[in-house]
Amino acid sequence: MRVTNLFFRYGRRNPWVLSNAGFVLSPGDVTEVLGPNGTGKSTLLRLLAGLLRPVKGTIDERPDVVGYAPERFPAAQPFTVAAYLRHMAAIRGTDPRRIDEWSERLGMDQLMGHRLPDLSKGSAHKVGLAQALLCEPGLLILDEPFAGLDATTRAELPQIIGEVSARGGIVVVSDHQGELRALPDLRRHEVRNGTIQELPRNAGSDAGARVTARNGTAQNGTTQDITPRGITPQDDSARDDSARDDMGRGITVQGAAVLEDSSPAVTVLEVAVATSKAEELASRLRAEGHVVRIAREAAE
Amino acid sequence: MIALARFRLAGYARSHRALQPLIALLPLLAIMYATPVPAGEELGAMADSAGILLPVFAWAARGLLDTEPDEQRMISIVTNRRGELLSGIIAACVFALGLAVIGELALLARLSADPGIGALMVGVCLHLFSVIAGVALGALTSRPILPSPAVSNLVLILGYLAILLVSASGARWLTVPVMSWMKDGHHDVLMGHLPLLAVQSLLWPLLGLAGYAWLRRTRP
Repeated sequence: MRVTNLFFRYGRRNPWVLSNAGFVLSPGDVTEVLGPNGTGKSTLLRLLAGLLRPVKGTIDERPDVVGYAPERFPAAQPFTVAAYLRHMAAIRGTDPRRIDEWSERLGMDQLMGHRLPDLSKGSAHKVGLAQALLCEPGLLILDEPFAGLDATTRAELPQIIGEVSARGGIVVVSDHQGELRALPDLRRHEVRNGTIQELPRNAGSDAGARVTARNGTAQNGTTQDITPRGITPQDDSARDDSARDDMGRGITVQGAAVLEDSSPAVTVLEVAVATSKAEELASRLRAEGHVVRIAREAAE
Repeated sequence: MIALARFRLAGYARSHRALQPLIALLPLLAIMYATPVPAGEELGAMADSAGILLPVFAWAARGLLDTEPDEQRMISIVTNRRGELLSGIIAACVFALGLAVIGELALLARLSADPGIGALMVGVCLHLFSVIAGVALGALTSRPILPSPAVSNLVLILGYLAILLVSASGARWLTVPVMSWMKDGHHDVLMGHLPLLAVQSLLWPLLGLAGYAWLRRTRP
C-alpha cells in the first residue's frame, strides 16, 4: 500500500492535520502509529482505512478486505453480541462458524448472550476486535486496541496480529501502551506537527533473537523484569547506581547495557513517579521511541 | 449490501426511534379519515395522502439513517463504501414503504365507493413518488450531512414547506409537484397529467439522492 504526498484537513479554514506525508507498507508489515494526543493518529488510520479522502495526494494499492476496529466500539446498538457478530459475518460474507472461533480466542464466550449496551468497556472492545478479525483482512486497522482489555487478551492480541502479518496482511496499530514492542520487525511511524516520520525499528525487536531477563531492584525491595529483548547486562559494578532526585522520587540507573549486535548502547532507567502521572510520562517516553514498562509499587 | 440493509433495518426496528414516525402517522390518519371519503373523491384523497405523508417518510428515513452510531457507520463503510450508502437508502425506502402501505390501507378502509383499478394504481404511484421524495429529504438532513439535530429538524420542516410553496407557485417545475398532485387529483385531471408529473416527481428526489451521495464522499 503506497501513501504519496498525502495532505488532509477537516475543512478549508482548518489547519492541515497531515501534510506531504508519504510511506509504503508492504504485505506482512506491522506498523505502530505513534504521537501525542490530537496530532492526527486516528485521522491517519481513517485515511488508510478509506474512511476519509485525502485532500491532496493518493493512497494506492489498498488491500480489498479491510478490518477496522475503532478506538471506542459503538456499544449503543440494540443487539446481543451474538446477533451483532452474525450480522457482521453476513455483511462480510464470512462463514458464521468463525464467530465461535474468535469469541473463544478473545475470551468472550460468556458474553455472546449479553446485549451490547450492557457490556463493559473492555468487553465491548473485544466485540470490536472480533468484527474486524472475522473477515481475514488484508489490511487490519486497530485504533488503540489494547485499551481496557484483560491481561489474557492483551497477551493474545500481538500473536493474532503476528498471524495476520504472517499470511501477508498489513497491520496498522495506534497504541499508546507499547504492547507490540516485542513483535519482530515492528515498524513505527510517528505523527507529529502534521508530518509522518518513520522511526528506527524497535531495538528490542531488531536485536530480536535473544531475550535476556534481568531484575531491577525496586524501592520497596520487590523485583521486576524491566529489560527489553536483546539487551545484555554489562559488568555489574557499572550499574545499579541508585539515587534520589530533588523531589524525593527514587531513580535507579542500570548502567550502560549494550545490544549484542553492536547496536548503540541503551540504558535501563527506573523512575518512580506518582501513579496519577505515570501514564502521561509513559506515553511521552513511548512517543519518543523508548521502551517503557509500568509496575505498580506500594508507597514507601 | 442486502445484509447491510437488513442489519440497519433490524437496528432501527429494535430501537425506540422506529416508533416516532409511526406515532406521527397514526394521529394523522385518524384526523384525515375521521369521516369517510365521499364517492368520487377517491383520487383527490389519494393525492392528499401522498402529499401529507411526505414529511413522515422523510422523518422515518432520517431516523433510520441516524440510528446507527457514527463508529458503526465507519465499520460499515469499511466493509463496502458504496454498499453502505445504497443499503441506507434501500433500508429507508423499505421502512417508508411500510408506512405508506399503512396509510393506503387506512385510506382504502374509509372509501365510500370502489375507486377502480386505475385510480388505485395512480394512488400507489403517488405514494411511491412521496416515499422517494421523503427518503431524499431525510437523507439530506441526516447526521453525516447536518450534524446538529436542531438544524436538521429545521431544515427538514422548512424543506417540506418549501416544496409545498414552490409547487403551488408558477415555478412548480422547480420541485416535487406535491400541490399539483393534490389540485389535479381533486379536479379529475391527474390521470392525464401523470406522465409529466412523474418525471418531475422523480427527477428532483433523484437529484437530491445524487447530491447526498456526493456530499457523503467527504462526510463518512
